[in-house]
Amino acid sequence: MEEDNITETLRTENLEIDLLITAIKGKIGYDLTGYARASIKRRIQQLVIDENVNCISDLIPKLLYSRQCQSNFINRLTINVSELFRHPISLLRLRESVLPYLESFPRRDIWIAGCATGEEAYSMAILLEEAGLLNNTQIHATDINTEVLKQAKTGILTKGLNKEDAARYQASGGTSSLSKYFSTAYNKQKLSQNLLDHISFSHHNIIQDQVFCSAQLVMCRNVMIYFDLKTQNRALTLFNNSLVQNGYLVIGEKESLVNSPLSSLLTTIDEPAKIYQRKSSEHV
Amino acid sequence: MSDYQVFIGGSAGSIAPVITILSSLPADFNLTITIVIHSGTDSKVSISEILANHSALTVIEIIDKEQFNPNTVYVAPSGYHLYVENKHHFSLSVDRKEYYSRPAINVTFSSAAEAFGEYCIAILLSGANEDGAEGLLKVKRHGGITIAQSPKSSQVDIMPQSAIDNRAANKILSPKEIISLLLEYNDLA
Ligand SMILES: C[S@@+](CC[C@H](N)C(=O)[O-])C[C@H]1O[C@@H](n2cnc3c(N)ncnc32)[C@H](O)[C@@H]1O
Repeated sequence: MEEDNITETLRTENLEIDLLITAIKGKIGYDLTGYARASIKRRIQQLVIDENVNCISDLIPKLLYSRQCQSNFINRLTINVSELFRHPISLLRLRESVLPYLESFPRRDIWIAGCATGEEAYSMAILLEEAGLLNNTQIHATDINTEVLKQAKTGILTKGLNKEDAARYQASGGTSSLSKYFSTAYNKQKLSQNLLDHISFSHHNIIQDQVFCSAQLVMCRNVMIYFDLKTQNRALTLFNNSLVQNGYLVIGEKESLVNSPLSSLLTTIDEPAKIYQRKSSEHV
Repeated sequence: MSDYQVFIGGSAGSIAPVITILSSLPADFNLTITIVIHSGTDSKVSISEILANHSALTVIEIIDKEQFNPNTVYVAPSGYHLYVENKHHFSLSVDRKEYYSRPAINVTFSSAAEAFGEYCIAILLSGANEDGAEGLLKVKRHGGITIAQSPKSSQVDIMPQSAIDNRAANKILSPKEIISLLLEYNDLA
């Protein structure tokens, strides 16, 4: 019967995915077990097509024996899409309600977890510069993917500045011209060095590693959507622990704390803007 | 809650039939409905707001890991792909666009097929590209019920026609016939 075949195929595919995940963990050290399965599966299936192999398990020898495949797989399985001034309304609210709080500290640390190619960190540096807070602020941007970190460190935009970037910048409350923060050479735009100097880019795995730093503001957007609920909670615990008392957490536009036990430790500052504040009590 | 789950996909010209369908369903309609419409196809106003004005059911724009509930219409947010993670909840992703679209209908239909198998009712409406056909075929292979809007009743027939050409559609129906079919399944529940 066809239906039995389908069930059997699904079972086999799931087994193959488990094996591939084990191989990735053993070979590269990335543990994808806590990731949301449906999207991982689709990306793996796309790899099967792009690598021109017959089935998921055929990807395993490629992964084990080819360096190039290893980095290609990781790039494909971790989604590195980012943009400047993403979710501008949130950044507008951040200017209004979080930056004044940061101002009350002589030195400030901001942790951007899952920074991809750096656009979020660049945007934050611009916000701080405009608020006169960039001096004495260190932005710690981290990601699991070493290749995007290499790119991010250069300060060079992967895509040239466009109208949409400018529109989002304005929607976030920006009043200058966005291009003034970038220099152009060889048709590429690079973030001004004095802004870039305030950002460090480091490798960090949200699922496996400890708190990266103590921070007044933690931003982790569009990363936890790739995690299953249990892993999301672990990540949120990590972020909460890295926050100083009354420090702020910002998550992605379509992310939520409603399913998380952590929500009781955080006060909602602005739900649509996804800005939360750590309550002043002891660690979890 | 009914075991059946309804998934509706569409692009250009699909808002009107979706409104027609939703406005004909009673407040006690038991099947969960999930809607994926290519964004940027119509106006700047969010699709969920438009639909909420035309439905007796609760209309929700999905956030990550949103859970399925009965008597509810779920709408994919613009800018994210929508996955059916399992029988209980959705998940979102910003993977690259498919057919220049995020959300893409294939993503939702394919994962829905795996999660709900024969209890999946997938409906592909009017649209100007071929997204959805592959996902619809997958729903059919998993034993689900697949419907393409009749090209005659579609404002833009490329999308349903490509599903029909792919032999992905069990039934080819007008919006009115789609309503009757959904009401029949509601009575089963
Ligand atoms: C879609 S990007 C989000 C970029 C940026 N935060 C934004 O919202 O524009 C997701 C990033 O999360 C990173 N990532 C995935 N799993 C991770 C983990 N376990 N630890 C750290 N970063 C991770 C990926 O490498 C990718 O660069």
